[in-house]
Amino acid sequence: MSREEQFARQLCRVLDRGAEELDHGVTERLRAARERALQRQLVLAPEYAIVGAGGAALLGGDEQKHPLRTALAILMLLLGVALSYYWNGLSQADENEVIDSALLADDLPPNAYLDNGFQAWLEKEDSPAGQ
Amino acid sequence: MASRAELSNFLAEVERRAYKQALFAVRDEDSALDIVQDSMMRLAEKYGEKPTEELPLLFQRILQNAIRDYYRRARTRSERFTSLSAFEGGGEDPADPLEIIELDEDINPFAAPHAALLQAETLSIVEEAMQNLPPRQREAFLLRYWEGLDIAETAAAMGCTEGSVKTHCSRATHTLAAALEAKGIRP
Repeated sequence: MSREEQFARQLCRVLDRGAEELDHGVTERLRAARERALQRQLVLAPEYAIVGAGGAALLGGDEQKHPLRTALAILMLLLGVALSYYWNGLSQADENEVIDSALLADDLPPNAYLDNGFQAWLEKEDSPAGQ
Repeated sequence: MASRAELSNFLAEVERRAYKQALFAVRDEDSALDIVQDSMMRLAEKYGEKPTEELPLLFQRILQNAIRDYYRRARTRSERFTSLSAFEGGGEDPADPLEIIELDEDINPFAAPHAALLQAETLSIVEEAMQNLPPRQREAFLLRYWEGLDIAETAAAMGCTEGSVKTHCSRATHTLAAALEAKGIRP
């Protein structure tokens, strides 16, 4: 340790004593300031919230620091996609059922739609020239 | 990530020195406390999730910036008032910081009868000498030696080169030695 550094360390020991001997009023205000700062840390601590009956998870804060929350959010997203796919499948089945019922209940047999001659006759009937 | 307890311990450990640093710089208790409080709040809000080992350097950067902001605001205020006071004339000369030391009665620590008195007088002289250092020298000295940052960290906190830190520290030490010697205190 150089002479300069040694002198600096001596001075710092004196300064340490000065910092130890602060007035009670000052130390109390410092303590209060510390408490306020800590409360601020708690208020701004990242949290996730459950929104609505669906239970969608919203990410909060830095996701790199919260792998569990990230995993949870991804899981919820996948669950949502799966539910949406299932729901769309159900709707499509309902529509197909209606069409099938209409075809079977119709006077015209379903095989007629496969007959090219019948298709040509329909188009001829629909066109204005055919009337 | 620093937990609440870790952040609390860190702040409790540095708050007194931070207050003293600010007080040496601004020479006003209330302003120094405001600076420390703002620095603590900023650390907790913006960097409360940082690992504990990063807190000392972050806090010192925030604190030094807060002190510099105070200087800037004070300079702006004084420029405004200077332009008005030019019309008044005959005002008192601004106090020379070094005058504080010159006005003090001579203190010979070796002649003091009581150890506690000697310590208190020595402390008072050292703190006054610290207050009278040029700001950048004081900043470098306190960060490097009192806060125990290494040269690279001190340079990062001060926003200057490592060479400047060494120069500031060396000049500060020599200025302090000269100021204390003038008061009868030798290293």
